[in-house]
Amino acid sequence: MAARWAARCLRAGREARRFVSTPSASRLTSEEIIQMRNELFTKEKERQLSLYPRIEKIEVKYTGKSHPGSLLIMNKALSTPYNCAMHLSEWHCKKSVLALVDGEVWDMYRPLTKSCEIQFLTFKDEDPEEVNKAYWRSCAMIMACVLKQAFKDEYSVNLVKAPEVPVISGAFCYDVILDNRLNDWQPTKDNFNSLTKDASKLIYKDLPFETLQVEAKVAREMFQHNKYKMEMIEQKASQNMEGIITLHRFGDFVDVSEGPHIPRTSFCFQYEITAAHNLQTNQSELIRRFQGVSLPVHLRAHHTVWHKLLERSKWLVTEEKIVEAAAESHEEKGGMEEEKTLSI
Amino acid sequence: MRLSLAAAISHGRLYRRLGPSPRARLDLLRNLVTALVRHERLEAPWARADEMRGYAERLIDYAKRGDTDERAMRMANFWLTEKDLIHKLFKVLAPRFQPHPGSYTRLLQIPNRDGTDRAKMAVIELKGNPYPPLVRPRRDSDKTLLNQLLKGYREDSRRQAAPRLPEGTPL
Repeated sequence: MAARWAARCLRAGREARRFVSTPSASRLTSEEIIQMRNELFTKEKERQLSLYPRIEKIEVKYTGKSHPGSLLIMNKALSTPYNCAMHLSEWHCKKSVLALVDGEVWDMYRPLTKSCEIQFLTFKDEDPEEVNKAYWRSCAMIMACVLKQAFKDEYSVNLVKAPEVPVISGAFCYDVILDNRLNDWQPTKDNFNSLTKDASKLIYKDLPFETLQVEAKVAREMFQHNKYKMEMIEQKASQNMEGIITLHRFGDFVDVSEGPHIPRTSFCFQYEITAAHNLQTNQSELIRRFQGVSLPVHLRAHHTVWHKLLERSKWLVTEEKIVEAAAESHEEKGGMEEEKTLSI
Repeated sequence: MRLSLAAAISHGRLYRRLGPSPRARLDLLRNLVTALVRHERLEAPWARADEMRGYAERLIDYAKRGDTDERAMRMANFWLTEKDLIHKLFKVLAPRFQPHPGSYTRLLQIPNRDGTDRAKMAVIELKGNPYPPLVRPRRDSDKTLLNQLLKGYREDSRRQAAPRLPEGTPL
């Protein structure tokens, strides 16, 4: 396997000598990059699994309302919160999106490492803020995967990042830098339709979102071709004390993101990529913000409501507008409270 | 001649056959109506409760005419076997349902009876009864994904519709 890897390295090196490339980017074909990332991910996952050759048991206490005081005996570094839900009931498996492990938000398919208390978060809780954020992040990642595979091999697609946009803004976004030759290209309605169809294919495949905690240098090796991802990795590594980065993968696509994701792609029901805007920045390259909107299986909307939400998601979502909107809503709330106190 | 099949078909028949005879069926339903007026919530086999529902609602319609009406009084006298309930019908239930034009009862299915017959059971109640509600309608929290998207949509359209005030003007 190592020999095959080395052979591919040489072959790609021979092709790359025709182009003028930076010394570290020996492979330029996006397919090969995807495969490289995939292989590194699988290798790292197997290595982390091999750290526990013998099965050790941990005690997981379920602190939810439905089965009070149940104690589950699970395997260390093998069992996931989804396995705990399987012990409880089918309803828990289908409805839970994230797990609250010792007060920390975890993915459903991330292995548990020590004895802890577990709770499940769904879309219809009293305060589903974390779940909404995770859903938005996952939808943005699906859009990134679609965009990466949409263009022909000659045109380069550089993913920048997924800005953390609140759900109330109406759309999830992903910033992309396309090839220079596409600077004047504006996507048409048909283009968005085909992108949406690609996304629907991914959703139908029901791919699980796998999580992996890796050290910063492994992540740097994976994303060495993308300078924006490298910046993000550096930032994340400096924030974390141990320099550990969380990577997520579904199908063939690996990405760094801010937090946990939904368990499977089939949790999205209505998914549509609606607009692409050019962001005005002081950089030389043109950053495009692709936007979309989606609803999960548990919160489906009637087509009239869905079309209204689609129309709204086509407008540009920027951080300043979000801050403005938040300030306005705070003003209104403050005004209402003043009125109430005055009336008393 | 296939008499058995023709006897089994009952297309368009509105009244179910309960009890040994039609007179017994009416007595059965009369007892149920009396119990409903007395207790305002009743657990009974679904077929009997469904059959009784129409009679109970028509009785209340008669009661709305007022106790001076001769016909209404005779109806109430027939249908309510316990005569103190006639007073309750005209003085309590009729004013309670005066604003509504119809649908004074609620019929909800409950799990089958525990006995060997496993009969389909239902609970029938008069609306506005003093007991705690049988069904609590659960509304989705305001912070679910769909509600947040709709809230954002509403605020956007409000911002578009209302003329924008420049900042600094006193509210």
